[in-house]
Amino acid sequence: MKFATGAAIAAPRERVFAALVSPDVLQRCIPGCEELTDAGNDIYKATIKIGMAGLHGIYAGTASLRDRVPPESFTLGFEGKGSAGFARGTARLRLDADGDGTRVTCNADVQVGGVIAAVGSRLVEAAARKLAGDFFRQLAIETNP
Amino acid sequence: MYPAPFEYLRPSTLDEALALLSSHGEDAKLLAGGHSLIPAMKLRLARPRFVVDIGRVSNLRYIREREGQIAVGAMTTHHDIEASDLLKERCPLLPEAAAQIGDVQVRNRGTIGGSLVHADPAADWPAAILALEAEIELAGPGGRRVVRADAFFVDLLQTAAASNEILCEIRVPATSRAVAYEKTQQKASGFAIAGVAVVVQGAENVRVGVTGVAAAPYRARAAEAALAAGAPGAEAIARAAARVGDGIQALGDIHASPEFRLHLAAVNAKRALTRALSL
Repeated sequence: MKFATGAAIAAPRERVFAALVSPDVLQRCIPGCEELTDAGNDIYKATIKIGMAGLHGIYAGTASLRDRVPPESFTLGFEGKGSAGFARGTARLRLDADGDGTRVTCNADVQVGGVIAAVGSRLVEAAARKLAGDFFRQLAIETNP
Repeated sequence: MYPAPFEYLRPSTLDEALALLSSHGEDAKLLAGGHSLIPAMKLRLARPRFVVDIGRVSNLRYIREREGQIAVGAMTTHHDIEASDLLKERCPLLPEAAAQIGDVQVRNRGTIGGSLVHADPAADWPAAILALEAEIELAGPGGRRVVRADAFFVDLLQTAAASNEILCEIRVPATSRAVAYEKTQQKASGFAIAGVAVVVQGAENVRVGVTGVAAAPYRARAAEAALAAGAPGAEAIARAAARVGDGIQALGDIHASPEFRLHLAAVNAKRALTRALSL
């Protein structure tokens, strides 16, 4: 599944970039993120609880940061699995200055497998969009001075 | 496929059911007709520790007229609504939409209240409920409250109903026969890829509800305004239908891309408007 999303954040690029690569800020921004630790070498380990309408799942995974070009762009590789299936993929994030703010663009390519792919594909993209929306809303709050 | 272990609870009154929801919090899930919850549990997408079956709670399954409105109990099945002479006479959009849900097995067990609180983005009811400007009554620990249809659907699988509340009644106005529901369905499940409901309450008041297109169902207010702005006729309908997706981020999946969904929404809007306005 290819998937594009983004948001306008009212903060300069440097601050948005720093937030996006900070484990503490990420943990607060990722919806349902219960734990996020820095495993060194730009690799993070995370435990995320995703719950919608009683369809709860706990996912454990790792994410690695590559091609880091502050404050313009980076690539996130990730893979995780939980009770209902697995997801892995890459997300390319680009930050463009937009007046005093920043336009964040995310292009993700995600493979989803297991039960969730077999029966939930109808809802996977919609769910991903909702989670991304929640993430960017919290990021806007975190980067607000 | 077997569900994860759970404890089955069967309250016989609404108050008992509310008390169970309050005491078990996030670990409890209400069972109505079970046509979304049971498959999700069998696939272990949902793993509630407590299943609170409200199938034996009396007085949640009825259709009756009261003070110019028709009240439908939350546990009324799709088939009850499809077959109701009262609704066919006084609010024909509900039986028309009911007849297009899933298949006869689904309609025999599935309930209007269960479908509404599950808030599947492709469910049929929301289009009709929005176009009818229905009122939705929720019972909670602090008493009852009424939510308007356009404030009820919040986001994907998310409604204004809190986890400790129970949807108990849907109230719709009596309407003329000038209503229509048109959808393009996913062949296997019958879910709406794009569904459009239209209610005509006089020339100035045409309401359009849309389901299946976005993460949450919506009122197509741009289409309604376009229709109200011009002289009635086929051209006005075409103009209005073309605006049914204005400002909407459409969903994409293996059945339909976002662009195709918006196209189908416009086609179904045109069909529904044409039919409703000619009645």
